[in-house]
Formats: sequence, structure tokens, C-alpha cells
Amino acid sequence: MPIKWILHWQPNAGHTVNSQILAEVSQCVESINGVKEGKWKATLSFYRPVLKEQANPSEFPRDFLGISLPEQPNKYYLVLRGQRLVLEADSTIQTIMEKLQSYKTRVALNFEGFQYQLGDFQLRVGKVVSIQSESLRGIVMEMEYRPISSWEKSHKIMGEFFDIWQEALSKRSLAGHFVHMEPNFGEFGLSGQYTLQHTAVQYATIMLQMIATAQSVRN
Amino acid sequence: MECVVQGIIETQHVEALEILLQGLCGVHRERLRIHELCLKSGPNLGSEASEVRLLCDLEQPEPTWTVRHVGGSMRGAGADQISVLVRTMVESKVSKNVLRLFYLLGYKLDHELLRVGFAFHFQRGAQIAVTVSSVNKMLKLHATDEAVPVTPGIQLVEVTAPASAENYSEVAASVSSFCEYLAPLLHLSKPGVSTGVVPTAAAAAASLMSYGGTTIM
Repeated sequence: MPIKWILHWQPNAGHTVNSQILAEVSQCVESINGVKEGKWKATLSFYRPVLKEQANPSEFPRDFLGISLPEQPNKYYLVLRGQRLVLEADSTIQTIMEKLQSYKTRVALNFEGFQYQLGDFQLRVGKVVSIQSESLRGIVMEMEYRPISSWEKSHKIMGEFFDIWQEALSKRSLAGHFVHMEPNFGEFGLSGQYTLQHTAVQYATIMLQMIATAQSVRN
Repeated sequence: MECVVQGIIETQHVEALEILLQGLCGVHRERLRIHELCLKSGPNLGSEASEVRLLCDLEQPEPTWTVRHVGGSMRGAGADQISVLVRTMVESKVSKNVLRLFYLLGYKLDHELLRVGFAFHFQRGAQIAVTVSSVNKMLKLHATDEAVPVTPGIQLVEVTAPASAENYSEVAASVSSFCEYLAPLLHLSKPGVSTGVVPTAAAAAASLMSYGGTTIM
């Protein structure tokens, strides 16, 4: 499984994301000779507990995430961030969760956009939209390097490519930048060999960040 | 959805049943060793109480885990007329940390079992699975090596086949007609409707064992 970094757009203080930024980012990928290949889409749902009135909410996780990824559409990933747990399941687990009626999906987000080929790299640029309202919640970028599946061994080349990308994008003077957050995969019981569970954990991590950013803008 | 019937057989006749199944199915048996954990939702979780089963297949070199949810069975006049139970059943193969996940979500262990025996999977009008197993309980938590039979000398036989809302009556008919072949050895009925062992079992088993070329004591 090729290594992947998942980046998210961090607007400068006082700014928000908008579709103009998304268009500029896509143009920038093409300007460094990224070849457009097709569309991609991932989905992420927040599951929240259904509690009786007398329940003590602190005894239950506030939420967990359910993630489906285009690489394995018949799989589904559940992530409990606070408890550092990621579960890989057949996508039928969604039906089981529905039938149990103990946790329900409250918010669902689509990550969708175009993918580009750039030598040994594959780049995916996508908007984050709520399924209910279609409003733009954020921008993400997947940066995949196909020849290597070791997180550690790929670190140097990924870091270098990230720098090149940031430099190319900086010429456009956009009010923000892409951020790479590196989760501690070991805490989730994951090894250094990259898997889709690593991708799910990265999505869960950037979600936290995006929520924090949205809240700070609102306040 | 699935169609299901169950029955019981004395352990002394299991070998004869195996010979019969081998002849009927034309496939080899698979060994079965499943650790089954039944979890129930804590008292304050969910709009109503819920139950889920985690199955750990101990026959695999690296144990594999499955989550199974068994829903309500079909009711009404139509359901009464057929001799098999039709119920919703959903399974999902999962990674090995699934027990921890359900504990964190607020589920509690209700009971656990170890099923040891064999299974046949074959196509006969439907994708039928027959499992023959002794059901064991654990004296200590998760101690599958120290499991003891719940009903010594008796084994559980289960015949299941996946079905859908469109084809369940055909699948139920296939399961019923297959069960008739087993009738001399055991009676299969809807789960919860126990009919006990059949009086012809000893004679049928003796006959099968002699045909099977196995020495009978």
C-alpha cells in the first residue's frame, strides 16, 4: 500500500475557505504538470450515542467516525479518536450499526474532487462538503507516493515534495496554506507499513483540526 | 436475510451424520472452532436494548473476527406455513480489535461460547451450510482451552442458507427438502421449537456406519 499524506487547508486568521481557493489549488497542480485523471470521493460520518435521559454522557464516547475510502469501497473504517482505536470492517458494518440503534449518524461529509498523476506521485484535491447542505467546509489534498509503503523511509521524499508544492502554491498569494499533521500511528496500534487504516486515522486527525478552525472563526 | 433450522443429535451418532452429509454434499467437511461472544448494550445506551455477536474463528492460522447481527424473524401467516425460520442477519468481517471497540461504545459481555465441530458448505438449490458442533461454556473469562460442554453427549446441528426478500420461499424449500434426507438421524425445526432426538437415530446410524465401511462396535 503506497504511503500517503493527507493535508488540509488552513486559512489565515480572519479568512475562510472558498471555491476560488479550490480552483487556484487545482490550477496549481496542473501548472506543475499534474495530469488530471478522474474524480475521487471519500465519505466521513459522525456517529453519536443515543442515550437515555438518566445516562451519564461521560461514560460514552462523544462520537466516533465512520469513513469510506475510494481505494476499498467494500470496506469501512471506524475511528475512536480519544481512545486511539481504528477498526477495519466490511462495509456491511454500517447496516449493523443502523440496526443496533445505539449510535446514529448526525453529520456526514463528502470529500470529493479530481485526482492527478505527477510522475510517481498521485495527488488528489478535494472539497469538503456536508451531504445535507453542500456548503464548502474545507479543502483537502492527498499526496501519495507509489513506490514506498514505509512511513519512515518515505519521510524525506514526502517532505521534499511537500516543500516544492508549498513553494509553487505560495506564488499565488492565497490567504492560507496546506498543513500536514502527523498522527502517532503507534498509539493506534498501527505499524510503520502503510495501510488504509493509516489513511482513516489521518482523516480523523484533520477532521479535529478543521472543527477547531471552524470554531475559532465562529468565536 | 437467512433461512435457518436447528436440531440436536447424540454425539454417538455424529460420525454417521458426517458420513451421510459427506455422501449428500460431495464436498469435504471443514473443521469448526468458533469462539462466540454475545454482547448487550448497557442500560442507558440506545433507544432500545440491542445485542450483537462477535465470532472469532480459531481454526484460521491467524484468528479472524466477524460481527453478526441477528434481527427479527419473519412473522405472519406466510411465515407460519413454511417449516424454516426466515430472519434478518447481517455479518461484517472486522479487524481483531472489535471487542475493545464494542466495550468502548458501551456494550457488555453477556455470555460467551465455544463451538467445536465441523461444517459442510455446498450448493443445492441454495448456498447451504450445515454445522454440527458441541456447544461449550468457559469456566473462566475467555479461557477457550478450558471449555466444558453445555449439554454433554448432545451436539447442535444447524442448517442455514442466505436468502433475500425476493427468493426466500425458494431457499426455504431447498433447505426443507435437504432436511428430509437427514430425517432418519435427526429432526430439524425452527430455532426455539425443540423436537428432541429422533427414535430412529440408532438404527439409521448403524445402517449408515455399515454402508460407510466403518467398523461398528
